[in-house]
Amino acid sequence: MINLQDMRDTARNMLAKNEVRGVIGYRRSTNGMLAEPVVITKPEQADELIWDPTCFHNLSLYLVEDRKFLAHTRAKADLPIAIIAKGCDARSTVVLMQENYFERKDVYIIGVSCEGTGVLDERKLVKKGIRATNSAFDGDDFVFTTEQGEQRIPAREVMADRCLECRECFPKEHNIVLGEDKTGRQLDAPFTALKRFEELDPAARWEFWDHQFERCIRCFACRSVCPMCYCDECIVDSTSFPVTGQTTADEKANRVKWIERSATRAENMTYHMTRVLHLAGRCIDCNECERVCPVNIPLRLLNNKMEREAREQFGYEPGASIGGPSLTASFLDTDPGKFIR
Amino acid sequence: MSEQQAEVTTDYEPRIVAFLCKWCSSAGSDLAGVSRIQYPSNATPITVPCTGSISPNYILSALKKGADGVLVSGCHIGDCHYIEGNFLARRKIHLVKELLGFVGIEQDRFRMSWVSAAEGAKYSQVIKDFVEDLRPLGPQTKVKAGRS
Repeated sequence: MINLQDMRDTARNMLAKNEVRGVIGYRRSTNGMLAEPVVITKPEQADELIWDPTCFHNLSLYLVEDRKFLAHTRAKADLPIAIIAKGCDARSTVVLMQENYFERKDVYIIGVSCEGTGVLDERKLVKKGIRATNSAFDGDDFVFTTEQGEQRIPAREVMADRCLECRECFPKEHNIVLGEDKTGRQLDAPFTALKRFEELDPAARWEFWDHQFERCIRCFACRSVCPMCYCDECIVDSTSFPVTGQTTADEKANRVKWIERSATRAENMTYHMTRVLHLAGRCIDCNECERVCPVNIPLRLLNNKMEREAREQFGYEPGASIGGPSLTASFLDTDPGKFIR
Repeated sequence: MSEQQAEVTTDYEPRIVAFLCKWCSSAGSDLAGVSRIQYPSNATPITVPCTGSISPNYILSALKKGADGVLVSGCHIGDCHYIEGNFLARRKIHLVKELLGFVGIEQDRFRMSWVSAAEGAKYSQVIKDFVEDLRPLGPQTKVKAGRS
């Protein structure tokens, strides 16, 4: 059980001693039950921090935002920034460091172990018809405060899918850690949802994805929320291509556009496949893309597929070590090659 | 409807986009030409510096623009001009192939082969086999852009 007071004290002390320039954490949002990300920079703000089942955001996104902000304002940061990181957040922070997006000394990781439970999937709660104003961890249950009183629900029933299949709920890379290491805990075998989907025959799979890609509205929410999608120029989005005073209209019109911006099925499909391939070996299954999708496209299946290929065919585990090679920039003599004629 | 379809399939010639590496497969296709080896003219060769330089976007883009099949061909393992380019390609192409299969695109539409500069005959065989495998699949409409 994580003592919230410990988390607040840690943040307060570090800010008071001027060890970090800010702490990225969660606070209560204006939207009732849900938590929202916050960056606190003053010791007295530490009491805003919370830790409950609605802390599902991947905060490493804000390390990227912080880095971009520093680069754009040409500011210098002498102190590291602290982040409250769950097992998955810590892994994605490791991937960012592996890619030299920032250095280990630039970030202070306050690890929080997810222990016996994961985090909430809000959609599952809504399906159950519960309108809560508050939530809390309690052993293997989540306790929700509703207007009718307290309601105790086994975490398993409303937990996010990724947490059910999580292999590593303990943040291995950390400066300090709160909570116990319960890495052995696994409610579902990894890739359960993926295996269930793969039992379908190719025609049925196509029918499914055809429908999903047709629905995509190309709002780029999945890209915006992904800590790994940090490129300033994005190949899928021609509006992000650089424009200077010297860029002529001709040049703008004739730039290679691998993917058009129109939200047709073919373009959506190439967009999602490109994104999945760019995330191969980098995606650590925080599933933020699926959570923010306004039309509920099950993007996790695609990302999981790549993760499993990397794991089973190449023995690669994303977010395992800062110094290790990346998936597509390394190779083994034993890589599968039977498909090549 | 069925009559129309029958008509389409009889006239149907698969269009292949072939990404050939500059050092081996491209020279291999040249050799097939100068040796006067007969093979179907369905493949449009595109020379790239190395199979390792092939971005998945090339493949997706080819399919999106209406290619019925995409071939990626390069030097045999160990013969890469850039020492390790084809090792990297092998990994990347494996992921692309798996992903295409996963969303339900026929696995036969995408193929990779190793063809050295001395294997003109093998290149012609690869194209022949590919065309024969593509013919029963019919035109590729899944990724192809267009008003649906």
